[in-house]
Amino acid sequence: MSLVMRRTLLGVAIALLMFLVIAPFYWIFTSSIKLPPEIIASTPTLFPRSFTTQHYDNLLGGSPFLSYMGNSLLVALGTMIITVILSTLAAYGLYRLRFPGRRLLFRVILITYAFPGVLLLIPLYGLLSDIKLIDTLWALIVVDITLAAPFATWMLQAFFRTIPMELEEAAALDGATRLGVIVRILLPLAAPGVASIAIFAFITSWTEYMFASVLIISDANRTLPVGLAGIIGQYQIDWGLLMAGATMTTLPVLLLFALVGRSFVEGLTAGAVK
Amino acid sequence: MSAATQPKRRHSIGAPRWLGYAFVLPLMLWLAATILVPLAQSVLLSFQNVRIIGTPGEFVGFANYTRLFESERFWEAFGRSLIWVLGNAVLQTILAFATALILKQRFPGQKVARIWIILSWIVPTVVVVVIWRWLLSASGGIVNYALVALGITAEPIGFFSSGDSAFASVIAINSWRWFPFQAVILLAALQRIPAELYEAASVDGASTTQKFLNITLPGLQSVLFVMGLIGTLMSFNVFDVIWLLTAGGPSAATTTLPVLIYDTGFRQFRLSQAAAISVVTGVFLLVFALVFMRFAAPPSDDGEEERI
Repeated sequence: MSLVMRRTLLGVAIALLMFLVIAPFYWIFTSSIKLPPEIIASTPTLFPRSFTTQHYDNLLGGSPFLSYMGNSLLVALGTMIITVILSTLAAYGLYRLRFPGRRLLFRVILITYAFPGVLLLIPLYGLLSDIKLIDTLWALIVVDITLAAPFATWMLQAFFRTIPMELEEAAALDGATRLGVIVRILLPLAAPGVASIAIFAFITSWTEYMFASVLIISDANRTLPVGLAGIIGQYQIDWGLLMAGATMTTLPVLLLFALVGRSFVEGLTAGAVK
Repeated sequence: MSAATQPKRRHSIGAPRWLGYAFVLPLMLWLAATILVPLAQSVLLSFQNVRIIGTPGEFVGFANYTRLFESERFWEAFGRSLIWVLGNAVLQTILAFATALILKQRFPGQKVARIWIILSWIVPTVVVVVIWRWLLSASGGIVNYALVALGITAEPIGFFSSGDSAFASVIAINSWRWFPFQAVILLAALQRIPAELYEAASVDGASTTQKFLNITLPGLQSVLFVMGLIGTLMSFNVFDVIWLLTAGGPSAATTTLPVLIYDTGFRQFRLSQAAAISVVTGVFLLVFALVFMRFAAPPSDDGEEERI
């Protein structure tokens, strides 16, 4: 194959790939700013001819969307903070200390990660209602931590491994306590790792639908995915509203990802190929 | 620090054994409370006749299990779950391999592309569902418009209206969501294979296929193992994409086991029956995982003990 042909083929492949991933997002965003007649026009317009913010106005003014978003944000932040604490502690124990049964614990943690959510849905409902957490945001935080923490712990492995043990020993020789070593030496060095598990926890929680649809009963405590699904379920689908909702739901994740996407992808892959 | 504190120093470097447990304990307790205890309760529930959460039930022995094994709905859902896992695995593996090989090349914007490729994986499932319902809509959807305009079909296709096409669409949409994630992991693994191996093989006159079979595949073995195990389990358990797109329909054509469990427990209010399906599903997955680990685990070439 000649070089020119190779280049062209690669170019086409890249374009196709980008189209497959990006085009759907472009389409919902542009649909969300079109006037209703243009959205459902029999000949779709690739570039919007009309411009309106009415769908966003309806979404923010006429539906509890902002309240859903606030709830989602609270749950995601709560999940993030507690997951980071639990996973960092566990990862320190698993990857920096030596003790019998370490390998077994490591496997157990990973296997829980693969456990089916639906399996847990029924008994968790009972358990959470026993401790009066049903229909509170805490119920979702509790569940989301369980969904996020095992994988987050695993992701930290690669980051913790690259930090030389000698650094820790040197600090200990200088009289630092173990907690001091963790907070002042290890965490700053593993900061990209901690950032990436924080995003992982945030995204896990932000996107969770199944538990949120069962564990939350009142509209006031609903999160975004369930709220958005409620709009789909309506008799007559208001596509403009739905597109605006989808765009607004994607936005916070995009912003987070733009900030720390690089270390997130590194964390994701480092654990897997180590 | 004076010399007098020397024993203390040594103590702080070589940590006592309990310290390791102490660090892992909070997470283990958390997982035990939210996974182990619920699982045990699931088993208990499956031997009772509870219909709605919170109501008392009686012990009915294996009645739920006998009913289950005699029910056609269960076996059909089981079969569908297998097709689901297989379909997703084939589609995602092909797309992920192609994507990883493309992203491995050098091109302008390659760094950005390698990060943003997983866009479809980080957005909520609900958004994925909204996107594809809109794209595939029979009235006004752009995919149908393109198909008709290009003369591929005479009239718009109702992607979700017949059983087979609904199932195929749901598999394709779920694969669209997941393949970039797998591609990113494959890519990282590909990059770890030393380029010298390929160069040496070229010198020896190896073909592209030979290089793939003798260098690439062995180099990916441990990643493929992890992806095969965890990917299969996770794919088996996918619920929200299916539920939100089709709710298991039309006429149960997309009802996989997780959908059946949800539907039985939370739509038909037969909680104990749903628990029985859960238990059977869980046991099946556990057996699968153990067999997979026994027979597909790559030989640990460097003795690294954290390999799973």
